[in-house]
Amino acid sequence: MISPYVIHLLILIGIYVILSVSLNLALGYAGLLNLGHVALFGIGAYTSTLLTMNGVPFVISFLLAGLTASFFGFLLILATRKLQGDYYALATLGFAFVVYSLFLNLTDLTRGPLGIPGIPKPNLFGFVIGSNLQYLLFVAVLVLVSVYSIRTVVESPFGRLLEAMRDDELGLRVLGKNTKMLKYKSMMISAFFAGISGSLFAHYISFIDPSTFYINELILIITIVIVGGIASLKGSIVAPFVIILIPEALRFLSLPSSILGPARQIIYALVLLFILMYKPRGLYGKIDLE
Amino acid sequence: MSLLTQLTVNGLIAGSIYALVASGFSLIYGTNRFMHFAHGISVVIAGYILYSLFTVWKIPIVLSIFITLVLSGIFGLGIYRLIYLPLQNKKASNVILLMASIAILILFQNLIQAFYGADIKTIGYIKVGKGLSFLGAVITKLQIAIIIVSLLLLISLYFFMKKAKLGRDMRAVSDNKELASIVGINQRRVSDYSFILGSALAGVAGVLIALEQNLEPAMGTTLIIKGFTGAVIGGISYVPASVLGSYILGVAENYGIWFLPSGYKDAIAFVLLFIFLLFRPSGLFGLKRRAA
Repeated sequence: MISPYVIHLLILIGIYVILSVSLNLALGYAGLLNLGHVALFGIGAYTSTLLTMNGVPFVISFLLAGLTASFFGFLLILATRKLQGDYYALATLGFAFVVYSLFLNLTDLTRGPLGIPGIPKPNLFGFVIGSNLQYLLFVAVLVLVSVYSIRTVVESPFGRLLEAMRDDELGLRVLGKNTKMLKYKSMMISAFFAGISGSLFAHYISFIDPSTFYINELILIITIVIVGGIASLKGSIVAPFVIILIPEALRFLSLPSSILGPARQIIYALVLLFILMYKPRGLYGKIDLE
Repeated sequence: MSLLTQLTVNGLIAGSIYALVASGFSLIYGTNRFMHFAHGISVVIAGYILYSLFTVWKIPIVLSIFITLVLSGIFGLGIYRLIYLPLQNKKASNVILLMASIAILILFQNLIQAFYGADIKTIGYIKVGKGLSFLGAVITKLQIAIIIVSLLLLISLYFFMKKAKLGRDMRAVSDNKELASIVGINQRRVSDYSFILGSALAGVAGVLIALEQNLEPAMGTTLIIKGFTGAVIGGISYVPASVLGSYILGVAENYGIWFLPSGYKDAIAFVLLFIFLLFRPSGLFGLKRRAA
């Protein structure tokens, strides 16, 4: 059978597929350069964790994780709807910082930097997903559902409108389309899937702390989406395999653990820089990032 | 009363450091029109270079500081020439440059961590002495030096921008790129010098932080957010405005401790940053037409 190590990697890859496909919906298709996606991921993780640990059934917590993240996605657009370009990107980054400092400082709720250990395994109507192999199947099903839903969205007339907005927002407005509504809808859908991937992450790792949802993780998610290619769902499905697996090669070098963590981040940062400089369309990208 | 003076003094000390970070950031933003987010890591690198030179290799402090500042300037120039300039030549958008900049920050932060370790480093140049009492506030000699050094540097920067040929060229480029190149100002040269000078200012901030506080690899992100927030509060592309904004931020953070638990100190900056980006991106003293 598959080794536990491979199962572990596949679960993580599955979670990152949902995360990167959802970011690509906002960033690639709708052209919303959201650097706060990592915060939505974190909001999902904390929501689901706090709810299940206070007795709410997993299925409800899971859905609420998505809906809460979606609500924050709504707030993010509400707040940033007038900004453009790097100002928009920086405001979303600012949003990520604000959420991070809330995780850190709302200690009554989140235990601050100590993090929350002992997050229970998902309980689906009485059936506890105990083993990692079961968890992998569970993640795989959700990956299929998420990718299928997002694919349906981007291939629908609504998805065409999103791409039109990305390419020429003013032109679309001239045609009488409500671009603000498009921004709200696309961001809320994107955030919903970020939220549920956060829930999947929290219940798998069983421990979360604020630093999991900060700038290092942000670089990882952005790297995955850019490597896969802007506005390419295929890219966002393939890239997590590549990006999660590359640093695993470091394990065979038997580096001390104090070097291993930074080495991983160094690789992500170098890959991102390399792609931006030499292959800005990534593996399967259709368009340039603007 | 003494609490108020103490918080004000602490705010001015913090503001001085932020102002040094913000002035370099604004200088680079003004002449190049993109966000050099990796500016925060220039500060940290300077701190660690000083640590190596002075604490590890025992080079005299004045010489150590001098070498640190030179290397900081070279680091800034290197980043510009090796990464930003090739990207700009490929017509990369500001957002690409911003992402590249965040990648550079993370890259060097982790290189420092791999090389020096994640634990805190101290320079140990000045033994912690008893603070002086000033209107009921306690302030150490080094902290007074920080405020004076920053003010002197920022005032000289002001006159440099006002009077010197290079400074005026920088302002010209910042004001209107096309017009500046029509009157024969070499943009590349101005960009080179803005990165050298801006990063050397970050180097000064790094030296002062290293002398007064502890060094940590991850402090670059917080520093650039503070410097950037200060710049946004004042007015991002105008150096004196971003300096004023930084002092306002320093004092606001410290007064905030009156109402909020001290853990929220960083959150105050984040929230101010967010509010200004949304409602007044041109800052308090910036020009209105800069609004994005």
